[in-house]
Amino acid sequence: MNSSKEKARTLRERARALAREPEGIEEDESHLEVVVFMLAHERYALELTHIREVYPLKELTPLPGTPDFVLGIINVRGQILSIIDIKRFFELPEKGLTNLNQVIILESEEMEFGILADEILGTKSIPASTIQASLPTLTGIRADYLKGVTGDRVVILDGEKIVSDEKMVVQ
Amino acid sequence: MNEEELLKKLREAFSGEADERLASLSSSLLDLEKGGGGEDKARALEVAFREAHSLKGAARSVNLTEIETICQAIEGVFAAMKRDEVSLSAGLFDLLHHCVRAIEDSLSASEGGGPDQIGELATLVSRLQEVKAGKEMKGSKRIPKEEPKAKGQKKSPPEKIEEKPREEEREKEEPAKEKPAPKPQLSQEVRESQRKPLASESVRISTAKLDLLFLKAEELVSLKLASGQHLADLKEIVRSIEIWNKRWGEIGPELRALNRMAQEGDGWDNLSGFLDWNHDFIRSLGKEIWGLTKGAEREGHTLGLMVDDLLDDMKRVTMLPFSTLLNIFPRMIREISRDQGKEVDLLIEGGDVEIDRRILEEMRDPITHLLRNSIDHGLEAPEKREKQGKPRSGTIHMNVSQTEGGKVKILIADDGVGIDLAQVKKKAASLGVMTKQEIEQLDDRDALSLILESGVSTSPIITEISGRGLGLAIAQEKVQKLGGLLSLDTAPGRGTSFRMELPVTIATFRGILVQVADRFFIVPSSNMDRTLRVHRDEIKTVENRATIPLNGKALSLVDLARVFGLNQEKDNSAGNGFLTVVVLGAGERRIAFRVDAVLGEQEVLVKSLGKQLKSVPNISGATILGSGRVVPILNVNDLLTSSPDASVQAPGLKAAEGEGEKKSILVAEDSITSRMLIKSILEGAGYLVKTAVDGSEAYTTLKTGEFDLVVSDVEMPKLDGFGLTKKIRSDKKYSEIPVILVTGLETQKDREKGIDAGANAYIVKSSFDQSNLLEVIKRMI
Repeated sequence: MNSSKEKARTLRERARALAREPEGIEEDESHLEVVVFMLAHERYALELTHIREVYPLKELTPLPGTPDFVLGIINVRGQILSIIDIKRFFELPEKGLTNLNQVIILESEEMEFGILADEILGTKSIPASTIQASLPTLTGIRADYLKGVTGDRVVILDGEKIVSDEKMVVQ
Repeated sequence: MNEEELLKKLREAFSGEADERLASLSSSLLDLEKGGGGEDKARALEVAFREAHSLKGAARSVNLTEIETICQAIEGVFAAMKRDEVSLSAGLFDLLHHCVRAIEDSLSASEGGGPDQIGELATLVSRLQEVKAGKEMKGSKRIPKEEPKAKGQKKSPPEKIEEKPREEEREKEEPAKEKPAPKPQLSQEVRESQRKPLASESVRISTAKLDLLFLKAEELVSLKLASGQHLADLKEIVRSIEIWNKRWGEIGPELRALNRMAQEGDGWDNLSGFLDWNHDFIRSLGKEIWGLTKGAEREGHTLGLMVDDLLDDMKRVTMLPFSTLLNIFPRMIREISRDQGKEVDLLIEGGDVEIDRRILEEMRDPITHLLRNSIDHGLEAPEKREKQGKPRSGTIHMNVSQTEGGKVKILIADDGVGIDLAQVKKKAASLGVMTKQEIEQLDDRDALSLILESGVSTSPIITEISGRGLGLAIAQEKVQKLGGLLSLDTAPGRGTSFRMELPVTIATFRGILVQVADRFFIVPSSNMDRTLRVHRDEIKTVENRATIPLNGKALSLVDLARVFGLNQEKDNSAGNGFLTVVVLGAGERRIAFRVDAVLGEQEVLVKSLGKQLKSVPNISGATILGSGRVVPILNVNDLLTSSPDASVQAPGLKAAEGEGEKKSILVAEDSITSRMLIKSILEGAGYLVKTAVDGSEAYTTLKTGEFDLVVSDVEMPKLDGFGLTKKIRSDKKYSEIPVILVTGLETQKDREKGIDAGANAYIVKSSFDQSNLLEVIKRMI
C-alpha cells in the first residue's frame, strides 16, 4: 500500500521534473533553427525556413558556359537541380569533392537550387541573443549574405537573401 | 530590389496617385452634373478626360488590368461626350459615379480586388461601352444595387491571374459578366452538390497538379531506361558464362587426364572433387541467371509497354485544342487593325486540333508576332487595296491541321503586298548578316529566309507593333526550340504565307549521345544531319577557318570541345588520322562539329535545367540516362549561331561588355507611378537615369547634362512629348540624340505625328513588363 503511494509520488515528481523547461533557455527568448555545415575550415549555418532537404552529392555533371559559382547539375529523384558553390563568394579554398559532400537544397516560390556543403554537422537551435550582427571587416557580398555571427564563430547565412538574389540567376 | 518588391512599391505609389485622380475625377463629374455650359463644361470635361486617361496609363504600368479596362471605358465615354455623341443624363452620371466608387472599392480591397469586384468592374465596363455605342440611358433603374459585401470575400484574390497576360484575364472576366451577383444561390448550390454525388463527366484539375502527375509519369521513363540497362548488364553476365562454358569444354581433355592422375592416388582426390563441384556450381548459377534474365526481359517488356501507354495517356490529358489559344486573336486583330486604319478579316480553321499544352503556351508569342507582321507590313490600307482591284478589307487565313507525320501544321497567310526581296537583301547586307556577294548568290528562297534573321526589317520606323526586325526572329527561335520548322512563301502583290510545323508533344524525342573530351552530350536526332569520319588531310582552311568537303561543298568544321572550353586529348584521331565529325543543322544552316566519339541513339526525355539556370549558352536542357547519369542536351540553333566565334581562339567576349561607361538617359513623364517604374527598369538595366515631370523641365534638364537618349511620355502638361521632340530636334546640339516616345495611346495619326516631330521610336506602354523598351534602347545606344 504504502509503497504504491510512494511509487505514485515518485512518478509525479519525475513527471514534474521532465515537464520543467531545461535551464538556460528562457521561454520568451527567440531561437533560430539552423543546419550547421562546414565550408572549407569554417562553420556556417542556414535557417531551416528555406531548406527543402539535404541530399548527398553522388554524381555531378558540370555545365560548360555557366559562371564559376555554378558547379553543375545533379539528379534529385528525376528532377534536375543546379548546384552552387558559395565558397567562391567568400574566397574560401577549394577542398575537392569527397564522400562527405552534401547538397543543401534551398527553395522559394521563384527559385530553387542546391548549395554545396563540405560536411553537414547537424541541426541546432541558436538563441537569438547570442548572435552578433556582423563584423566591421565583412563588406560587400560577405555582408550581403550574412545574418550574423555567433560567439563561437558559426557564420549564420541569410537564406532569404541567397534564394532571392538575382545575381544567382544565370540567364 | 526584386521584381515583386518593386511591383509592391509601385502599387503603393499607384494607390496614392489613384486616390488623387479619382477625387479630381469625382469633383469634375459633379461640376459637369451641375450644368452650366460653354467653357465651364468644356474645362470640367477636359479635366475628367485627362484624369481617366492618366489613371488608365498608371494602372497599366502596375498590371491592374481591370482598372485599366474600366478607365479606358470611362475615357471612351468622355471622348464621346466631347464629340457631343452622348447626351448627359442623370443616369449616365449615376453610372460614372458608380464607376469611381467601384474603382475605389477595388483598390481598398487588397490587390486588384476579389472576384466580386472584378465581376462588378466588368459589368460596369460593358455598360459604359453600351453608353458609348449610343444606347440611351433610361434613368438610373438599370444600375445594379451594390451587393452587401459578405465577410471574407477578399480572402482569395486570384494572384495567379494577375501575372498572366491580359487576354487570358479578359476571358476569365467574361463568365463574371454574365452573372453579376449570383452569390446567395451559388452557396446553396455548393451545399447541394456536396450532398449529391458528382454527376458531371469532367472535372477541373489545377494545371499544377497535372504537371506534377506528368512529371511522375515522365520519371517512369527513366525507370524503364534503367531497367533496360540492367537487362543489358544481365545479358552480359550470361555471355560471360557462355564463354566460361566454352573454355571449360576446351580444357576438358586435360581435366580428364588430371582426374585419372588423381584416381591413381596421389592425394589429389579433393582437388578433383572440388573442380567437379565448381563446374556444376557455376553451371547452375548460370542457369539461374539465365532464368532471371528471361524474367527481367519479360517484365522489362511489360513495364516498357505500360510506361509508354501511361505517358501517352498523360500526354493526351495535357493536350488542349488550339481554339483555347486562337480565341484571343480576333480581338487582338481588331484592335491592331483599327489603330492602323486597316480592315482585316481573320478566318480561323482547325481550332479543334489538339496539341501539348506546353507547346500551345509557347506558341502564343510566335503567332502574335506573325499576325502583327501580316497586318503591319503585309496588308495594305483599304484605299490602296481598292486601287489595285482587291477587296477593301484584307484577309488573313489561319489554318491548323494535323499532318501525316504526327505533326501539327499552322498556316498564316495574308493577301497583302508580299515581301520585297530586294529590300530584304539590301537590309541584310547593311546589317552585315552576309556580304553583298553572298547575298547575290542566294536563290529567292534562301534570300527570303533572311527576313527571319534578327534585325532584318523592311519597315522605316520602330513602333509598338513591329519594325524592329525582331518579331520574325523571335517566332523562328521559338518554333525551332520546340523542334519545329518555320518557313515562308511570298508572291509580290498577292500576299505572304508563313508555315509552321510543330511536334504534337514535347515530352520525348530521339537523341544521339556524343562524347567530347570526358563529357557527354545529347544531340537531338532531328538536328543531326549525319556522322562522318574525316581524314586529317581533308581539312583545309578558308580564311583561316577549318572546313571539310561534303558532297562537293565546303562545310565549316568547329571543335565542339573548344566551343565549350574543354581540354581535349591532344590527338583523338586514334592513330590513323581519322576524326569523328557530326554534321548538325537547323533550317538551312549546317556546320560540322568534331567530337571524340558517337555513342549511339536513344530515347531522351527533356528536363529543364532548374529555376536558377534560366538560360545557358548552347544548352537547352538535360536528360537522365538509364545509368542515372545527367547529360546536357545541346541547343543546336544556338551552336550554329555562336560557333563562328568559338572557332576564334578568343574567349574574351564577355569582358568587352559592361566595361564601357554607363549610358545616361533622360526620362520625361508626368505620372509618378510610371516615372518610378521606368526609372527603376532603366537603372536595373545599368543606365544612369534623370527624370523630369514635364516636357519643359525635360528640356531644361537636357541642357544641364550629357544624355545619350531621351524617353518621353506623350501626354504631359506644359510641353507634351511631340513638342519636346520638336524642340530637341530644332536645337543643332541635340539633333542626333535618339528620342523614344512612350504613350498610352497609339493611333495611326499619333504615330505619324511622332515621325513628323522626329522621334526615333514610338512605343505603347504596356503592362509592367517593359523589356520592349529596353530592347529598343539597346538598339539605339
